[in-house]
Amino acid sequence: MLKIGRFKETLVEGIIKTSGIASIFVVTLIFFFLLKEGVFLFKTVHLHDFLLGRSWYPISDPPEFGILPLIYGTLLVTAGAAVLAVPLGIGAAIYIAEVAPPKLKEILKSGIELLAAIPSVVLGFIGIVTIVPWARQFFHIPTGLTAFSGSVILAFMAMPTIVSIAEDSLHSVPKSYKEGAYALGATRWQTIYRVVIPACSSGMLAAVMLGIGRVVGETMAVMMVTGNSASLARGIFSPARTLTATIAAEMGETVQGSDHYFALFSIGIVLFLITFAINMTADFMIHRKRK
Amino acid sequence: MAEFALTTKNLNLYYGRFQALKDVQFSVAEKKITSIIGPSGCGKSTLLRVFNRMNDLVEGVKITGEVNFENRNIYAPDTDLLKLRKKIGMVFQRPNPFPISIFENIVFGLKIHHLYRESKEFLYKFAEESLKSVLLWEDLKDKLNHLATNLSLEQQQKLCIARLLVVKPEVLLMDEPCSALDPISTAKIEELMQELKKNYTIVIVTHNMQQAGRVSDETGYMLLGELIEFGATQTLFTAPRDKRTEDYITGRLG
Repeated sequence: MLKIGRFKETLVEGIIKTSGIASIFVVTLIFFFLLKEGVFLFKTVHLHDFLLGRSWYPISDPPEFGILPLIYGTLLVTAGAAVLAVPLGIGAAIYIAEVAPPKLKEILKSGIELLAAIPSVVLGFIGIVTIVPWARQFFHIPTGLTAFSGSVILAFMAMPTIVSIAEDSLHSVPKSYKEGAYALGATRWQTIYRVVIPACSSGMLAAVMLGIGRVVGETMAVMMVTGNSASLARGIFSPARTLTATIAAEMGETVQGSDHYFALFSIGIVLFLITFAINMTADFMIHRKRK
Repeated sequence: MAEFALTTKNLNLYYGRFQALKDVQFSVAEKKITSIIGPSGCGKSTLLRVFNRMNDLVEGVKITGEVNFENRNIYAPDTDLLKLRKKIGMVFQRPNPFPISIFENIVFGLKIHHLYRESKEFLYKFAEESLKSVLLWEDLKDKLNHLATNLSLEQQQKLCIARLLVVKPEVLLMDEPCSALDPISTAKIEELMQELKKNYTIVIVTHNMQQAGRVSDETGYMLLGELIEFGATQTLFTAPRDKRTEDYITGRLG
């Protein structure tokens, strides 16, 4: 009886351990695969020309593999999305956690969850038929397929992440802090911005970082609305192309084993490093909060 | 007869259908320490939270009767809640300094009531005085920028009192202020209360009868939402008029 019990224990422990290690193993595998394929590019192209080159002409003769416009496109679209999504998301989280009456709170929370459930291609589609023509008319620009349109769509995609994580962290602030502030005669708003927000600032930052991480990695919706011009965008109202969209758009047309093929993997490495850095920062902030 | 800072008249309080306070007539003498004792769930904390209307934060609370402060019923519809809470401050059972620096905790009250002039020096001087008044200055003078939540519980509780004194309240409500503290810290807080009595009216809710006996001038004994007996502390503990009070103070109940 005891032996069977112990065997079961060992078995379960083994299974859990395997699945734990598997996830790390898969990530490492992916990284090495990316590295293995991507590194061949640097036999022919200098790292400096790759990262800081201003022209991306992968199928010209001779080809040029400068991804600066793509990095810039990604940063531009991401920054735009952050400017829109962060204040809206944090504001919504504060409203839901601290102000809204219970019934409205439930409605808003499920609404936000619904937003998260919309497939990105559908959002991209909605973007093409609504935001793109609107942007063209409203800003008097030749085309509505711009970095700005991408930012708007991505803001919608980042919102659910930001709102739900920020709301969780607001919710975790002990009630005693709020009571202390109210008992001193603070108003609700004073209590929120002088006590509640400082108490969960690291959670808020983590929410923002994870929202941004989501934006950087997003592909489909951006590809549909940003115009995909691989030249250095002149501003938020001109067409731009992101790292992700480049891989998605070109991978199907490239010859396996060509420089172009390797270049796309190198872009993958860059993207991996960017999202990795963002997630690490978010993780660091969450852990700092626990200390 | 002494002046009364707070008086209640026919006070009833309901949490939904449950009646937590039953027809309470209570009065708090000015510049004295009044304690409220009684077993858990007797309504003593609820009564305390009536005085600064903290019960308003609880859903489904209904109150009838009067609570008079400065010749006005604080439950009248035109009461300025923020002013009321500024004048009637509260110290909680678990010390609850805000998770910001010690200095910011002290000047919090000044900032929310717009009482400060924009000079750092003024604020600093102010922090010094406040910390001295709760006997914390020597311990904390070099740590003003440290996080308040890292202090010892006794220091935290004193800081909470300092934070309260900053807005110049008239009444201090203390909800079991020592229950999270060890006996030595408790003694120090009690010592501080005697000091504060000179300038403030204090109401303390305590689980600890010895504490009520040591610190307070007047004591009320509550049971199941009723104020059973109320009078001078010494009389209540040595010659209780009510059988139920006697049962409690001699340890036969609660």
